[in-house]
Amino acid sequence: MHLFLLIGLLAFSVLAVLLRDLLKSAISLAVASIFLALLFFLMNAVYAGVFEISVVAGLITVLFITAITLTRGDGDVAESRKHRIIFPLFFLVLAVVDLLVMKKLLGQIPAIQGSESGTFSQVLWNQRTFDLVGQVGAISAGVLAVLALFRRDDMHGTASKGGSHE
Amino acid sequence: MLFLFIIVPLVLAGLLPLLGKVSKRLLPDLLASAAMLFLLVLAVFSARPLIADGGIIQQAFWFGAPLNIRLLLDGFSLFMLFTISLVSFAVTLYSINYMEHYGAKANYYALLLVMIAGMNGLVLSSDLFTIYVFLEVAAIASYALVAFGRGHDELEASFKYLMLSAVASAFVLLSIAVIFGVSGGVSFGVVAQGLKTLNIKTVVGFCSGLFLAGFGLKAALVPFHSWLPDAHPSAPAPISAMLSGVLIKVSGVYAMTRIFLGVFGLTPALTTVLTIMGIVSIFVGALAALGQNDIKRMLAYSSISQIGYVVLGFGIGTPLGILGGLFHLFNHALFKSLLFLNAGAVEQSTGTRSLDKMGGLAKVMPLTAATSAVGSLSIAGVPPLNGFWSKLLIIIALVQARMHVLAVLAVLGSVITLWYYLVLQHQAFFGKLNEAWQGVKEAPFWMSAATVLLALLCIVTGLAFSFVIRSWLQPAADVLGQGVGVALNFIGF
Repeated sequence: MHLFLLIGLLAFSVLAVLLRDLLKSAISLAVASIFLALLFFLMNAVYAGVFEISVVAGLITVLFITAITLTRGDGDVAESRKHRIIFPLFFLVLAVVDLLVMKKLLGQIPAIQGSESGTFSQVLWNQRTFDLVGQVGAISAGVLAVLALFRRDDMHGTASKGGSHE
Repeated sequence: MLFLFIIVPLVLAGLLPLLGKVSKRLLPDLLASAAMLFLLVLAVFSARPLIADGGIIQQAFWFGAPLNIRLLLDGFSLFMLFTISLVSFAVTLYSINYMEHYGAKANYYALLLVMIAGMNGLVLSSDLFTIYVFLEVAAIASYALVAFGRGHDELEASFKYLMLSAVASAFVLLSIAVIFGVSGGVSFGVVAQGLKTLNIKTVVGFCSGLFLAGFGLKAALVPFHSWLPDAHPSAPAPISAMLSGVLIKVSGVYAMTRIFLGVFGLTPALTTVLTIMGIVSIFVGALAALGQNDIKRMLAYSSISQIGYVVLGFGIGTPLGILGGLFHLFNHALFKSLLFLNAGAVEQSTGTRSLDKMGGLAKVMPLTAATSAVGSLSIAGVPPLNGFWSKLLIIIALVQARMHVLAVLAVLGSVITLWYYLVLQHQAFFGKLNEAWQGVKEAPFWMSAATVLLALLCIVTGLAFSFVIRSWLQPAADVLGQGVGVALNFIGF
């Protein structure tokens, strides 16, 4: 199970970097963060899992999508071929380093004295209920932002400000 | 009952886009104004008696069923709720006429309501992570509101604001993560207790630095201010009033003050940093405002300068300094909202924000000119208007704390403020009427009603300052004066 989740996390993280469509890239990042959150839950880091889902998969995705919608689609920046080669190369080097040294390094972390308790539903619904209200607010803000910024001009006027005296 | 401050604007925001299909103007205007009035009445008459014996933690209910939501109300949070509700009410009245030109009023009000729900949630939170969540709620709504006009400048300003605000959020979140790691919790009480027990000055210093950068960006303190002079002028005038009037105070100053004074405890190092940032902001903002020709940009730079006074007051850390900071925060919410609303009225009537092209507008817009004069004199600290008393308290607090040089600089900053506001008044409203503006008319009824309301509040707050201090400010100052004691009282709730 852990392996499956790790592969999912890596695959969607790589996609988030490699995809040229910003919207798809942001969604890949959100999916990757869901895999990471599930890993947190399996490793009994329930708080971290809840924060990962609420912040990265929720809030930050809303932020990214709002940012993408605020920019126009005609602003594609040409990327040099060098970047396409450098990232996979960098990724491979890091993976090798991880395999060689991470196990040893992880053993050096002192025992964490945190007091996380409760299942996912307990933490989400019972302990962080107020945050859920905030999540609803953040998602509402994102949806309303899209509705407001992509509205069709109605009979009262357009986006222009000011009067007609100038 | 306190949950109504969050759930009423949030539910109404969800309904408004649907109701907007039935009635494009009347229903959104009516419901949004009624909701703001309801929140104002709730703050004044229902919430205030709750803190008669000090702060409370109240459980939220949803249709009679208890929810696992606990809201913190003390003198400081009530003071902020009152300020938010008051300015929001005036802004909503003003929007009835002003937003006609933009269209999509239902969506506009919905976003405004979400922003208010976010600010109210932040103020009622007793937990660092919840502060972050509601900070984002208010911020996301504000990005869209800045870009609401959808012109090039609006979109560019909104994008810049979004990017810098995202950096601020990252700083805040990182600091919360570190604090959670060392203290084992995120609620104010647990964090205050944890930090007190562990005695880890380096980690607290690191987290303070991150919070300072994060909330400093949100409050537009120098050197984190670069986004504000673009974002605030580009937004529709009522949103400029909300952003400068309350949002930078709630998401920047309130959050920073609550954490530094109420959870971490004010240290001599933090006092030094806050007072320096305050005084630098006063001067950078004031000198930059002096050189502006765009009326809204001048007001935006002025906000940086005035926030400097507020932070300077809090930074002193003495009871009088805190009281002065709180009073100036409230006063700035009133007069800066007023001035932005007036600038919007002038822009809508003349089609320009350039001071060079104005002149003599007092002859055709007497009410706007008069209320603008009240706002300008108030912000410049002319007695007996409200700005005079708050600046006086801060200056006396500086003298009492033996910070004489800072006291002199604060007075000098006020003189520069008077200078550029006289320039603004002179160029916009006095002198010979520019021929191009012969046909200009006074602002419509609701826009004038909002500005008159705020101008009257500036005058009344100045004349009845001792009543305002006794009834609204002292309970808030007492909370901050107790330092981490307040947070420790709420452990286990």
